[in-house]
Amino acid sequence: MATYEKKKCWSVLFRLFHWMYALSIVTLCITGFYINGPWTNTMIEGSASFPMAFARFIYFTAGYVFAGAIIIRTFLYIFGNKQERVWDILPITPRNIKNLFSTILRYAYISENHEVRLGHNVLAGLTYLFTFVVAIFMIISGFFMLFPEVATWQGIGTAVFGNQQWGRYLHHLLMWWFMMFALIHVYLCIWNDVKEPEGIISSIFTGDKFLHK
Amino acid sequence: MADTVNTHLDPQLNRRGFLKGVTMAAAALGLSEAMIPKMVEAAASGERPRVIWLHFQECTGCTESLLRSSHPDLARLILDIISLDYHETVMAAAGHQAEHNLHETVNNHPFLLVVEGAIPTKDNGIHCMIAGKTAMEILAEVAPKASAIIAIGTCATFGGVQAAAPNPTGAVGVWDLVKDKPIVNIPGCPPNPVSFLGTILHYLTFNRLPLMDKLNRPLFAYGRRIHDHCERRAHFDEGRFVEQFGDEAHQMGYCLYKVGCKGPETFSNCPAVRFNGVEVWPVSVGHGCIGCTEPNFWDTMTPFYDRLPQVKIPGTGIVEDADNIGKKVLGVTAAAIGVHAAVGIGKGLIKGKSSHE
Repeated sequence: MATYEKKKCWSVLFRLFHWMYALSIVTLCITGFYINGPWTNTMIEGSASFPMAFARFIYFTAGYVFAGAIIIRTFLYIFGNKQERVWDILPITPRNIKNLFSTILRYAYISENHEVRLGHNVLAGLTYLFTFVVAIFMIISGFFMLFPEVATWQGIGTAVFGNQQWGRYLHHLLMWWFMMFALIHVYLCIWNDVKEPEGIISSIFTGDKFLHK
Repeated sequence: MADTVNTHLDPQLNRRGFLKGVTMAAAALGLSEAMIPKMVEAAASGERPRVIWLHFQECTGCTESLLRSSHPDLARLILDIISLDYHETVMAAAGHQAEHNLHETVNNHPFLLVVEGAIPTKDNGIHCMIAGKTAMEILAEVAPKASAIIAIGTCATFGGVQAAAPNPTGAVGVWDLVKDKPIVNIPGCPPNPVSFLGTILHYLTFNRLPLMDKLNRPLFAYGRRIHDHCERRAHFDEGRFVEQFGDEAHQMGYCLYKVGCKGPETFSNCPAVRFNGVEVWPVSVGHGCIGCTEPNFWDTMTPFYDRLPQVKIPGTGIVEDADNIGKKVLGVTAAAIGVHAAVGIGKGLIKGKSSHE
């Protein structure tokens, strides 16, 4: 019978980031789909109903929450605790390279070997880092569309995307990455929770994980 | 002041029309009423700037829309405040005489250069030749001596339809070739004559080019998105959309967003200045904006009747709607997750026991 030890893993700020990120992504996907292809229509005029304006308001609010989450994550990548810093997941140390391959083998059901590790496994960490980069593109294209007349955003957006339409197009395409990511992320969390009683799911609420003694 | 106008200018242009044209340009520039006398003075002064107007790979639609604007005063004003030394469509000279006029101005006088049309660069530029020289050669000869360059129309600014993929003639805009000259881009297919007149008058009045955005478009004309100034915007915010052309919502004049209007992506003064002096522009007559003032609009704004471009996967010939591909990829992801879970469960059943007990 294995014994487990409760260990502090995620800071309050990290958990705040996670839930800001998760909830804003869900909100942005739903309202974003509405804004791109509004599925309601009406011929009523002069009523106090503003479905598109309302959807956009919710969308922009969620967009700011999303941008705030990314600012928090940037801070944590540099100044967070050991598990939260970017060095913990970059495959540049022998420990991390080994973990990357052992995780792939384990996820492919080839090996049963589970390395005890408090933070992200390296495969997950790299996926999060990639998503973080995609998120930065979303923020740039988002503010490029929201503030088209502001010289700063116009300069960055024009340099990166060429014109508004291409910014919008990539903004839309990259959204599908977040939807795929969410699907895989939730699945693998459940999968890991089933395989190892480390409390991976509850850790994002409580901040604590349980590791083999 | 009004009397000096007629001594210097074409008597066909009456005072009222002259002032009207200048006032329109001042309004388009967003200048105060107090500036109008100064502009009138600048426009009426005998010193008309020499202008060379080069036509390259294009349809002459920009010139046509300028000449056929239904405010005849506007076209006449443009032609009267400048000395048009070379313009293939309207000049009287032909052949060697025309060439002589061109070289005379280029070599001996300061001049403004207006370019209409893209410049083909492939195969040494042989796809557009005038008087035995390629467009590239003519531009390379004339541009360095110009005091400033105005690229009129989407072809001269961003290459236009000729530059649409795969761009067989290697067509490019003026600013892709000329790097060391002040260039104003006035894109549009065609651009509004008022935007052109405004730029010229701004130059005459203040002796410098107007403020421009990152794409060298004058901010007075291209500073805001069409969507943000559109008369149908209320229908957008309140959720009233045209579903297809000719339906009841279309007859009611509702928002064209769902039938692919590119107003939200396009910078231009169309909703404010409008065309032909009869207060029309595409959206006002029931057709969505196609984004003709934006770079590469033939590639990025098409399909014109959908919101977003289609996804082209190179090497496969697959061209499809972004959301259809997204749904498929998401479906494959979900299926892969299902298979992964099933393998795990199957393996557990075969082994019978978890390794952690």
